[in-house]
Amino acid sequence: MPLVVKVRSFLRNLFLSQRVEADLDQEVRSHLEMLTEENIRAGMPRHEAQRAAWMELGGVEQVKEQVRDSRTGAFLDSLLQDLRFALRQMRRSPGFALTAMLILTLGIAANVIVFGVLQALVLRQLDVPHADQVMTLQPKEGGGPFVSHPQMRDVRDANTVFSAVAVFEIQDFGLEANGVTRPVWGCEVSGQYFEVVGVKAFLGRLLERSDDDHPGASEAAVLSWSAWKSDFGADPNIVGKTVRIDKQPYTIVGVTPEGFYGTEKIAQMDLYVPMANEASLDGFDWLESRTYRNLFSVVRLKDGITVPQAQAELNTITARVAQQHPKEEEGLALKLARPGLIGDFVGGPVRGFLAGVMGLAGIVLLACCANLGGLFAARTADRAREIAIRMAIGSSRWRIVRHLLVEALVISIVGGMCACGVGWMALTGLANWHPPTRYPLKLFVVPQPSLILMAFLISVVAGVVFGLMPLRQIFKTDPNETIKGGGSQSPAGRRWVLRDVLLAAQIALCCVTVTAAFVSLRGLSRALTMDLGFHPKNALLTQFDLSQAGYTSNDAAADHFQRRLLERVSQIPGVEAAGYANTTPLSGAVSMSGIFSQQSVDFRPSNRAFHSYIFDVSPGYLNAAGTALLAGRDLSFSDTAKTPAVAIVNQEFARRLFNSEQAVGRYFKSGDGVSIQVVGVMADGKYFTLSEDPQAAAFFPISQKASTSTALVVRTQRNTADMVAAIREVVSDLDRGVPIRELGPWNTDLALSFFPSQVATVALGVFGAFGLLLSIAGTFGLASYTVSKRLREMSIRVALGAQAKQILSAALGRMLVLLSSGSVVGIVLGVAASRILSAIVYQASAHDPFVLVAVVFTLLLTGSLSVAGPVKRVLHADPAKLLREQ
Amino acid sequence: MRAEPTSLLQGTLDLLILKSLIAGEQHGLGISRRIQQITGGTFVVKPGSLFPALHRMEEEGWIASFWGESENNRRAKYYRLSKAGLKQLEVETKRWGRVSWAIAQALETS
Repeated sequence: MPLVVKVRSFLRNLFLSQRVEADLDQEVRSHLEMLTEENIRAGMPRHEAQRAAWMELGGVEQVKEQVRDSRTGAFLDSLLQDLRFALRQMRRSPGFALTAMLILTLGIAANVIVFGVLQALVLRQLDVPHADQVMTLQPKEGGGPFVSHPQMRDVRDANTVFSAVAVFEIQDFGLEANGVTRPVWGCEVSGQYFEVVGVKAFLGRLLERSDDDHPGASEAAVLSWSAWKSDFGADPNIVGKTVRIDKQPYTIVGVTPEGFYGTEKIAQMDLYVPMANEASLDGFDWLESRTYRNLFSVVRLKDGITVPQAQAELNTITARVAQQHPKEEEGLALKLARPGLIGDFVGGPVRGFLAGVMGLAGIVLLACCANLGGLFAARTADRAREIAIRMAIGSSRWRIVRHLLVEALVISIVGGMCACGVGWMALTGLANWHPPTRYPLKLFVVPQPSLILMAFLISVVAGVVFGLMPLRQIFKTDPNETIKGGGSQSPAGRRWVLRDVLLAAQIALCCVTVTAAFVSLRGLSRALTMDLGFHPKNALLTQFDLSQAGYTSNDAAADHFQRRLLERVSQIPGVEAAGYANTTPLSGAVSMSGIFSQQSVDFRPSNRAFHSYIFDVSPGYLNAAGTALLAGRDLSFSDTAKTPAVAIVNQEFARRLFNSEQAVGRYFKSGDGVSIQVVGVMADGKYFTLSEDPQAAAFFPISQKASTSTALVVRTQRNTADMVAAIREVVSDLDRGVPIRELGPWNTDLALSFFPSQVATVALGVFGAFGLLLSIAGTFGLASYTVSKRLREMSIRVALGAQAKQILSAALGRMLVLLSSGSVVGIVLGVAASRILSAIVYQASAHDPFVLVAVVFTLLLTGSLSVAGPVKRVLHADPAKLLREQ
Repeated sequence: MRAEPTSLLQGTLDLLILKSLIAGEQHGLGISRRIQQITGGTFVVKPGSLFPALHRMEEEGWIASFWGESENNRRAKYYRLSKAGLKQLEVETKRWGRVSWAIAQALETS
């Protein structure tokens, strides 16, 4: 039976290979001898007979090899051989193998990480059923994604395109359970929130329309799965338990399912409560306010409704609302956007940045491939002699190609595995990382198996493709010539070959990443030293909200508490200045208001002069914050609700309203028509983002407009830890029930403002480093290769009396040409690409001479570092010894 | 003419090897000489083609090998036709008949 015979011979070939080999050897040799005898019988002399027999046979090894190739299982057998051979070769030159694997690991890992983040932030939809139907509504104009409660109520009641419409506000709450009060982050959600989201409760029920019917309609609260798991020990009987939220009793009615993190992709909520109860939770009532636009919206499209249809109806509704409420809603226009990135507020920059970084990652990958190609080409050239010998003794070209292929495969598989490991670890690390802010930010990056598999495949393909680049070299190898040439004759010194082009391309690509890194570094260092309009250094910031301890803003007790606190804190030894405000600049929680000129009588939005940031501050706050008062007086506790309204404005405010900085004593009006006198002018600063243009800002006396939200600024030179403890003691001494949300150096709180620049700088810095590493590897590889190829020629020149300079220019002149042309192209590309960066990194400019100098210097340094070794080798070569050896 | 391993000629080589073994067991050189003889010197099979073919055919089960003594008392590997080989010879012969008839037809009509 043929099959049985085949299997038998396959097994025999595999397991009895030694006997099979011996058999074959004997067979061919006996054939040779018989041929010789035949020739002798024909009358040839012995040695001629032997020669003729050899000629006819064509080489014992060649025949054997041909037989081996025709055997069953020959492929597998020789594959194993090739594998063993490849591993042996790699052990013999570990430098090559390690470099190739390192390059591959760097290039692939960078791409895995960036793509993982891209997937988590941009490509992934929210983790809810039919996520494509979930959208957010945000104003067409203006900076934020924010809407007001009445606006969305109008949309909810009038539309026919959404199956549910909801708003939510992210809030911090004082959650008291089992006798401990902790600050947690949660959402006040309107009645249809969980209809929009469409998830099913893990335990109990979620909030329903009836919970949000009217203030006090229900004291139901829903826990998130992670809060239930970590803060309540996964208590299975949690439903029905009573907790206190901001001192109010609430009943836990349910737990959200695992994997539901709310409708923001980068934040994790612990708690959901009905929005109807906001007055008792926030300390003031904004449900009916059309100007309190601090809410996020989420809507769910009905089945079969397209976005343009929904947008058309939305336009009709908002036009009607604007007509009905000309004073507050003039010009109202909402658009549908993808939810998840603070509405869609940071969607644009995040997508732009990630696209840019993805581009850089692609460049790094390209550079890696170029590098790999160069490496393999150089290695093949190095082994020209070996390859020629192998061909001469009977190896087919295909067999040699297969060797290279197996070697490339081994390298790319190991490199790919390392890359996937590194990528996996980095993504897991990112997922467990909490950005340095008090906000509940969290990156839900999950290393997807499909992503890892894809990356692995890409690395194998890249490795194999570039491992096979020297194919042409092999096919044109003429064993005779190569062996005669002593292995050292190569075109390296004469013609421009593929690997030269690859090196130049790779250096150009690396320059791009290095330039990008320097641009963002420079931007960050500028951002860190820029004038913020206040001095966060040597200042401590304490933040809490008295509403969490049961105070309200209409309550004299809150005002009393804050004043007592200020007095007590000012008496702590070492405190130079102290003051408090409702919120501080760059804290993220700042508000704006329309400013009208003193002549205004009609306060509809189109009549306002401009928008200004507004802060409510105590006397002494300016001093404590380090904001310069340029003219006029500070606020005072004698400015009360009964005295005329006053404010301190910044220079930009004064310029915009009065066309002059001489504003003291002049008046403007707020949106509710009250005349306000300017009593002081302060220096400009940054209020919402570092990258904003000069903005108008006004500081109002907190004694005229009480707030439960408290940010206490204490300026001190004393040791931070002592001071923190002292302040904490004062607060708890005044009221034990006040949960301090944040207490520490002001700089720490500002971390969020610097966060985008820092992330960008870290990301681009890493890519810059990758680029440098790659160019060092590439340059060093090619330089040492060139030198080793031409060492013999160089030593002859030295022996004949050539000077060091001549030797160097002969050996490495071409390298320099490659390096410099690659660098120039790269810098030009980098400068062009860096324009994109200025969108994310504040004050990033590629036209900065510092950046250009730094890039050029870095490249020169790395260039010289990477050719230093080979140069040394050339200069210190001993001609006598070398020539003798070869 | 050299037996190049094109598919037609490979089939031809197999056929010639099988045919040469009809007369009885033979070693490699013997097969080679016999083919030369029965084709009137047209086919000279080089060892580089012969041995791979022999080993392949042995693995197919058409021929079997054993070690024996050559005419000069030298140890040599002998091949003989198996039952499957005999059948294969019939198949190959028929195929070759068809092919050569077709080629002849093609050459005549022109």
